[in-house]
Amino acid sequence: MTRDSTSNATPLIAFVVVSVAVAGYFTGLQAPMKASSLSSPLTAANRQTRSTTTPEAGVVLATDYKDMADVTLARRQHARLASLKSTTDPLAEIRIDPEEKLMALHQREQNRAFNGAPPTIPHPIDQRSDASCAACHKEGAMTKTLRIPRMSHEFLTHCMQCHVENNPRHMPGTAFRENEFTGLEAPTAGPRAFPGAPPQIPHSTWMRSDCMSCHGYEGRHGIRTTHPLRSNCQQCHAPSATMDQTLLTGEPQFLPGPEIRK
Amino acid sequence: MNGDLQPRPDTVQRRQFIKASAMAAAAAVAGGTGFLLPILATEPAAGVQWEKAPCRFCGTGCHVQVGVQDGKVVAVAGDRNAEVNKGLLCVKGYHVGSALYGKDRLTKPLLREGAQYREISWEEAIKTIADRIEAAPERFAFYGSGQWTIPEGCAAQKFMKGGLSNNHIDPNARLCMASAVTGFLATYGVDEPAGCYDDLDVCDVLIMWGNNPAEMHPVLFSRVIDRRSRGEKITLIDISTRRTRTTEACQHYLEMKGHGDLAIANGIAHLLIRNGTYNRKFVESFCSFKAPDDQNPNLHGKPISFADYQTFLEPYTPEHVEELSGVPADQIRMLGDVFGNPELKITSLWCMGMNQHTRGTAINSLVHGVHLLSGHFGTPGNAPTSLTGQPSACGTVREVGTLSHALPGGRVVADAEHRQQAEDFWNVPAGRINPTPGYHTVKMWESFCTPTDKGGDIGTIWVQVTNPGQTLPNLNKLFNPKGDNKAGLEDKFLIVSDVYPTATTRLADLILPSAMWVEKNGVVGNSERRTQQWFKMVDPPGDARDDCWQTIAVAHELFKRGTDGMKDRDGRFLFEVKDNDNKPVPVWEWEHYYDVNVDEHLFEEYRQFTRLKHKDLAPYSEYVKARGLRWPVVETDGQWKETHFRFSEGFDPYVEEGTGIQFYHSSTHNDRAQIWFHPWIAPAEVPDDDYPFMLCTGRVLEHWHSGSMTRRIPELSRAMPGGYVEIHAEDAAAYGLRNGDKVKMESRRGALVIPVWIDGRGKPPRGTVFIPFFDETLLVNDLTLDAVDPFSKQPDYKKSAVRIRKVQP
Repeated sequence: MTRDSTSNATPLIAFVVVSVAVAGYFTGLQAPMKASSLSSPLTAANRQTRSTTTPEAGVVLATDYKDMADVTLARRQHARLASLKSTTDPLAEIRIDPEEKLMALHQREQNRAFNGAPPTIPHPIDQRSDASCAACHKEGAMTKTLRIPRMSHEFLTHCMQCHVENNPRHMPGTAFRENEFTGLEAPTAGPRAFPGAPPQIPHSTWMRSDCMSCHGYEGRHGIRTTHPLRSNCQQCHAPSATMDQTLLTGEPQFLPGPEIRK
Repeated sequence: MNGDLQPRPDTVQRRQFIKASAMAAAAAVAGGTGFLLPILATEPAAGVQWEKAPCRFCGTGCHVQVGVQDGKVVAVAGDRNAEVNKGLLCVKGYHVGSALYGKDRLTKPLLREGAQYREISWEEAIKTIADRIEAAPERFAFYGSGQWTIPEGCAAQKFMKGGLSNNHIDPNARLCMASAVTGFLATYGVDEPAGCYDDLDVCDVLIMWGNNPAEMHPVLFSRVIDRRSRGEKITLIDISTRRTRTTEACQHYLEMKGHGDLAIANGIAHLLIRNGTYNRKFVESFCSFKAPDDQNPNLHGKPISFADYQTFLEPYTPEHVEELSGVPADQIRMLGDVFGNPELKITSLWCMGMNQHTRGTAINSLVHGVHLLSGHFGTPGNAPTSLTGQPSACGTVREVGTLSHALPGGRVVADAEHRQQAEDFWNVPAGRINPTPGYHTVKMWESFCTPTDKGGDIGTIWVQVTNPGQTLPNLNKLFNPKGDNKAGLEDKFLIVSDVYPTATTRLADLILPSAMWVEKNGVVGNSERRTQQWFKMVDPPGDARDDCWQTIAVAHELFKRGTDGMKDRDGRFLFEVKDNDNKPVPVWEWEHYYDVNVDEHLFEEYRQFTRLKHKDLAPYSEYVKARGLRWPVVETDGQWKETHFRFSEGFDPYVEEGTGIQFYHSSTHNDRAQIWFHPWIAPAEVPDDDYPFMLCTGRVLEHWHSGSMTRRIPELSRAMPGGYVEIHAEDAAAYGLRNGDKVKMESRRGALVIPVWIDGRGKPPRGTVFIPFFDETLLVNDLTLDAVDPFSKQPDYKKSAVRIRKVQP
């Protein structure tokens, strides 16, 4: 190619490139998704029984060009769990509201077969790795839009042995046949010896050894403890030997008392 | 052990008093001061009774605590006092309670009329079965199950072999454990593992030979990997034909072609000898060598010398093993080093990869041989451990002997002395037991699907607790003809006792609704020789009744009609059960079935059989108290003590002092185990130009076997709704396939249209595809082949050749 024809072609090429860029820019502006309307199936507000608030679970919605810079910066800043700012004020007073409590228990019921069952996973997962589970659920977090519950039990390898997805990504999660099982309901409160006494723990603590995972800062409103700053829960709240399956004899044993002459 | 977890009456009263006074006080306070209490306390988990039971599902045998409220199961918890699982369960175990409550539970006996069914009474059902048996008792067959409880197996076994003199009784475990059994017999002279799950708690190396315990025996697998997360150093090695969830937890992944395991095992033995790292002392003290006898193939083979053994292994250099198996020579050398290290404690695990194999007996023998050759045997942590898939394949099938050639307690019908012992224990006339083995599973169904005038001499099959219409290989030959009007099988009759409609009830002539799991008493035996018991906790729905009762009811109907086979030596009914006052109870009448514990009666009768092969069982009452006991359970100083490690001095009470290790059932009668040589042989079907893919089948975590129970549990069904074919991404690209596309898979035997999941949960290599078999609408066994291992008669579900065609939407 001669120099002349090259210099003739260059403005043409430049014109084509610029016009394509401009056309792309305006096309991008038409995209319906905005950064601010990013919603995810995990938001507490959106949580439904069978979560399908986004048409395809697991797909991250596209951002339009004018928001691109802000969104990328935001995403990078919030990429680490530790830097997520919790919106919970640790010193705020917590009042127990029976309505909220029932709502919380109702929400819990949605992904458990019965009280004490391992919850099903409401979001897509990596089918093979469970290091990816621990990345979020080892610590847990609560932000304005996201509630990541902390594991209520100590770290156990192989999460997927007990926790399965309730809507897998490779095909829609459907029940094959109807089932009439009604599971054990969660207790609404523990028994107290007298008004004002600390309630006894009305559930087993097996697999629920970290009280704060449900009753602490990442817990649902309604079942949060009124006193999260106290960290030694079992100092006041007695567990149930029966429900915890401890191998104690049925009846506490005593020495025989004095034999009184009649 | 205290199994009583119910609150005592006086405790309850005390609690109620406190509650009442609290409520009164609260009312007073609330009224007086305006102090708002939260929702008034109810009795925590009011009225829930917790009882123990083994889980209904796999062969691990986890113990659960079942919560029953108002006559229904409402919750399940792991049993913290169980040694098997220590309070842990898997997702199936947690949801096992829901298995009872699928809406389409069978509740009434159904008799086929044309294309539909008519509800009939139990009397009519029992009479129908008795009619068929009476008309042609030698053409009747019983297809049983590794999910049979031990008493159910005892009843069927005695009914057939000790009653009708008919040996056509075979279980579905023929399709899963038969090669493991023949491997044990060929090596040790007696069946079942020497080690137990305690090995998992101390091993340094865990080798998976073609199984996927992360999904199939999750509680056992996490028992090992939890140790690692606590800081212990354990090496996990996965020898497999595709990547699975297990692979992700392993340090070494050895990807092999089908039958590569034969080459690998020989390769390890070759290296042990070449490097001089085999355990000379162990071999010289406790082992002999065997090779197959091609003139007269059997489990004894022909004895060979060590020099012969070494010569046979010459060709299996790491490079040659690489050619045969596809595993790089370096990794074979790594395995040779691992086994050559006497300091390491090595446990090998296997399940269907080695058993569903046309050379299954061979590979089982070879893996035992590698452990024996290297001396990794007999101490805690050193164990070749075969795992079972069903909850009682060991307890019922292998120990009660519900196989076409076997009698209870490790005996065989072909042996006159064994027959005489069985006849004595069962109190039946001498000569009652038929010495000719009956038909094994594949032969039984082949015969059933062959017209009578063409030699199909099985006319009636009674199926209990299993789903052959989905799980038999090559269904178009072994099952589907039953539903074909032109197949000439109009005179064949299929009876199915089950809990839900399945692929089998689809072609049944008589469907019997059955009780399941905690709707009946039961005793089962898991993979580590642990026999476990439970009591009935809830009632079965509708008219569903125990399988054991069904067998006894049919037996009694025949007894009333004068069938001699139903009388014992004294002319009394074969299944006469007496109460504590020594009066017979009419257990064939359903209203009286639970007047006594029939399970206990059958179990105590069966216990006597177990002494011969030193698989001693304790009295039934001991199992009520315990979370299972591992046999041999021997009474020492008034206590019943279980055995952790067989054949090892100090652990096994039957090992003589000073012997160290004693294989007291040695097939060569010299207390030695047999190390076998078997050559590598190609699979029965390999991919070729017409059918270029190798099809492997198997399971997934969420669904247990044919899914008839787990697919009706919403949490499990939603997690894994349906079947699919796993395929490598590049293979998919070559066919233009995307995730979810439907493909037609064809083999020489059948075809299937199925959706694709690229690099699904498992990652198959190029040229291999994988289809799980839990989906009854996607019957992968239309494609599989029915070639069997020559000794165990177990088919190979892991290697069939298929081709793929994209289905245009």
